[in-house]
Amino acid sequence: MALDAHRIPEEPYYRPVAGEVALFEAAYAARMPMMLKGPTGCGKTRFIEHMAWRLGRPLVTVACHEDMTASDLVGRFLLDPGGTVWHDGPLTQAVRHGAICYLDEIVEARQDTTVVIHPLTDARRILPLEKRNELVQAHPDFQLVISYNPGYQSVLKDLKESTKQRFAAIEFGYPNATVEAEIVAHESGVDANVAALLVRIAASSRNLKGHGLQEGVSTRMLIHAGRLAAQGIALETACRIALVLPITDDADVRDAFSAAVSAAIA
Amino acid sequence: MPDDQSRQFPADQFPADTAFSSVERRLVAYLVALWRLRVPIRHAKPDAAGNPPRRVSLSDGLIWMPGTFRGVDGHRSGALFRAALVHAGAHLRFTGPRFPAAGLKPLQLALVSLIEDARVEQLAMREHPGLLRVWRPFHVAEPDGAGTAPALMARLARALIDPDYRDDDAWVAKGRRLFFAAESDWHSPALSRRIGGLLGNDLGQMRVQFNSKDHVVEPAYRDDNIGLWDHGEAPPSPPSDAETVFEAFRTEQEERDRGRPDDQVGEGATPARLSATDVPARAVGEEEITAPPVRYPEWDYRVGIDRPDWVVLNERRSEPGDPAAIARIVERHQATADRLTALVRSAKVSRPVRLRRQPEGDRMDLDACIDAMVSHRRGEAPDPRVHEVLVRRNRDLSVLLLLDVSASTGDPVAGGGRSVLSVEREAATLFAQALDGLGDPFAIHAFRSNGRQDVSYYRIKAFRQPYDDAARGRLAGLKAGLSTRLGTALRHAGRLLERQATHRRLLLVVTDGEPSDIDVADRRYLLDDARRAVLGLAARGIDCFVIGLDPQGRDYLTRMFGARNVMVIDRADKLPEVLPTFYLRLST
Repeated sequence: MALDAHRIPEEPYYRPVAGEVALFEAAYAARMPMMLKGPTGCGKTRFIEHMAWRLGRPLVTVACHEDMTASDLVGRFLLDPGGTVWHDGPLTQAVRHGAICYLDEIVEARQDTTVVIHPLTDARRILPLEKRNELVQAHPDFQLVISYNPGYQSVLKDLKESTKQRFAAIEFGYPNATVEAEIVAHESGVDANVAALLVRIAASSRNLKGHGLQEGVSTRMLIHAGRLAAQGIALETACRIALVLPITDDADVRDAFSAAVSAAIA
Repeated sequence: MPDDQSRQFPADQFPADTAFSSVERRLVAYLVALWRLRVPIRHAKPDAAGNPPRRVSLSDGLIWMPGTFRGVDGHRSGALFRAALVHAGAHLRFTGPRFPAAGLKPLQLALVSLIEDARVEQLAMREHPGLLRVWRPFHVAEPDGAGTAPALMARLARALIDPDYRDDDAWVAKGRRLFFAAESDWHSPALSRRIGGLLGNDLGQMRVQFNSKDHVVEPAYRDDNIGLWDHGEAPPSPPSDAETVFEAFRTEQEERDRGRPDDQVGEGATPARLSATDVPARAVGEEEITAPPVRYPEWDYRVGIDRPDWVVLNERRSEPGDPAAIARIVERHQATADRLTALVRSAKVSRPVRLRRQPEGDRMDLDACIDAMVSHRRGEAPDPRVHEVLVRRNRDLSVLLLLDVSASTGDPVAGGGRSVLSVEREAATLFAQALDGLGDPFAIHAFRSNGRQDVSYYRIKAFRQPYDDAARGRLAGLKAGLSTRLGTALRHAGRLLERQATHRRLLLVVTDGEPSDIDVADRRYLLDDARRAVLGLAARGIDCFVIGLDPQGRDYLTRMFGARNVMVIDRADKLPEVLPTFYLRLST
C-alpha cells in the first residue's frame, strides 16, 4: 500500500490527561478536521502519533514553513524521459489513500498557502488539483489535523478567520505535576523523585512566563534534562544545559531561573 | 559553607560593591520564579536621625530594601540581597495576618518574631530545599558565644535552620526541641506566638540583658519584623502606617525625579502637576522658535475656498525634560517592550520572499524548468527564466507620529491618575523603541495652537536625528496646553514627511478630541479643514491614520480621516501597547 512507510508499527507512549483520546476518537469517527492547540513541547505531536497508531491509520506529517507553497502540499509535475509526470504532494497522498494528514505549526505557512485545505475541511471533502484538472474525492478514512501554538501568535502570523472556523479544537497544556512527573520519569528513565523535582523546577520557570520568559520550560525540555541526569550528569548541570541556557539569553532572568533551580535541589 | 556555595552557578556571582539597584531585576525575577510573587520594592530611606536602614522592612505590601548593607563586603552583599529578598518573600507567602502586640514584652515580641522567621523559612524550604544554601551562610553564631540575649537569640536562630549546628545551651536546646516537635503545626502562625512566648518567659527569668531600643535582628538578611505586629491604636515604633504611605508616595516622586528635583514633568505626571502653576518659566509664546514661520492655507467650507496663507505655524523647541524618565517608562512596560522586540524581530528579518522565474538566481525554479522542458519538447522556444532567488523583503517605509498636546491632554485618563499626555508619552516611548529596533526612518512631532496666527509645532525626534538622550529629553519635556488646530499641523507634517525618499509614507496621528481653537466657534470649520488636509496628503501619496483616545470620537474622526483609517481606543491607558502593534500591523 502506498503509505506503508507512514504507518506507525508500535504504540507511541502517550499519557492521557483529560479525556482527549476519547474526544479525538469521536472527532475521527465524524472525520471532523481537528486543531491541536497548546504551547510548544506539551505533547501535541506525540498525541497525534498515538492516535494514528490507535486508529490504525497512516500519519502524514508536514512541518509547515514560511516558504511552503501550495504545490509543496498538493503536488506538481515532474519530468521523466517520457514527458511530464504528476507527483502527488503529501496532502494529496493522504487524501487519496486515507491517512491522517497532520500539518504541524500551520501558522508558519503563508495564509494563501493554507487556503488549499479549505475544500477538504467542509462538507465537500474534495481536493481540486487544478494543474492536473482533477478533483480528488477524499478517502473515507482521511482526516486533517493541524497544530497551532497560540503562544507566539502575533499580528504577523495568525490563521485566517475562514481557516480557523473549519476546525474543532482540543486544547493542550502542561499536565498537572503528578502526571507530568510520571511522563518525565517514563520518557527519560529517571526515578520518580528526580522527575518530581524536575517538574517543580519547571513550575518556577512557568512562573516567569511574561516576566522575562516568553514561555516556561516544556515537558520536552524536562525530558531532555532527565535523560542527561539518567546518564549520570549531576542534576543541577543537567538542568543548566537542558533548561536554563536554551530558554533565555537575558542574563538577569537566567540568573533568577538558575537560582530557582538551585533552590529546588536539596 | 564553601562547598555549598561552590555548587551555585557561576552566573550567581555578583560583582563587588553590589548596590541593590544593580541586582534588583534579577532578584525580582527570582521571587517570581519561586512563588509568582510580584511585590513592589522600594528603596528604604534613612530614618529621622539620618541613619541608613540596617534591615529590610515589610509593610503595607511593600518591601523596603536598604540600598546597601553596611559592613558587608561586595561579594557577600549580592548574596545577602538575595537571602533578604527570599526571606521577605517567605513572609509574604506564609505569614498570615499581623499578630496583636498587646500584652507582650519587647523580649517576647523579639522571640515570637524569631520563631516566625524560622517557621516561614522552614515552610519555604519544604518547597525549595535549596534555599538552605541561600540562608545558612549568614548564620554564623557559635555555641561558645557570650550569654547575652542577642547572642543567645542568634544561636537559637541558627539552631532552628542549620541541622548540623550543635549547641549545648539548655535554652537554645529547648527552643529547638519545641520548634521541631511541632513540625506538623508549622503551617499555623499561632505556633510562633506560643513557642516565642514560652522562650521569652524563660529568657526573662534568666535575667539576661535585653535592650529593645538597640535590638537589631540577626542575621542580617532577616527583616526588622515590624510588619509582623499589630500595635493597635498607638504604634510605639516607626514607621506608622500614615508615615509609610507618605513615604511610599515620596519615594515614588523621588524615583521619578531622581537627580532632577525641579523636573516638573515626570512620566507619572498628575494633572495637578501640569496645571497653570506648573507651566514653564517661559510662557508658551516665548519658547524658542527654531525655524522661520510658515504660512499655510486653511479650507473654509462656508465659501468653499482655501483661504491662502491663513495660518502661521512656528516650529518651537520645548524645555527638555529628564531622559531617564523615558528609560523608566520602558522599564515599567518591560513586558510590552519585550513583546514588541519579538514582534519587531520577526517583522524585520523573517520576511524572505521567493522570486520565481528569474533569469538568474541561486537555485532552479522547479515549475519554471518543467514548463521550459515542456515548451522545448513541443518545439517552442523555452522561457529562459528558470531560476529563483530568495530575497529579504526590504522595508521601505517612513512614519511620522504626530501627537496632540493641547490642553485637554492634561486631563486624567478614565480610571487612572495619569494624564492623557503621560499616556501619549509612554506610547511614543514604546513606539520609538520599536521603530529604533526596526530601522524604519521615523519622526515624532507634536503640535498645539493658539489661534490662527500661532500654531506651535515641536520636533521631538526628526527623521534625521538619532533616537538619543536629547530626543528622549524632549519627549519627557512635553507639556500640555492650548488648542488643537489639526489641519495646519497635518499640512506641515505632510510637508516634512514628503521629503522622505521611501516607497510608503505613513502619518500616524494621536489625538484625544476634535479640532478646536480659540478663534473658531463653528465646530465644523476645523473639522472640514482637517478633512481637506488629509485628502491633500492622500493625493501626495501619504497615508494618514488616526488613533483616537476619545471613545465617542469615531464620528468626527471618520469624517476627517475616513472610516478605514480610524482606530478608537476605549481605554486610553491601552495606548502604549496598541500604538506600536498597530503600526506593525499597518506596515507588514
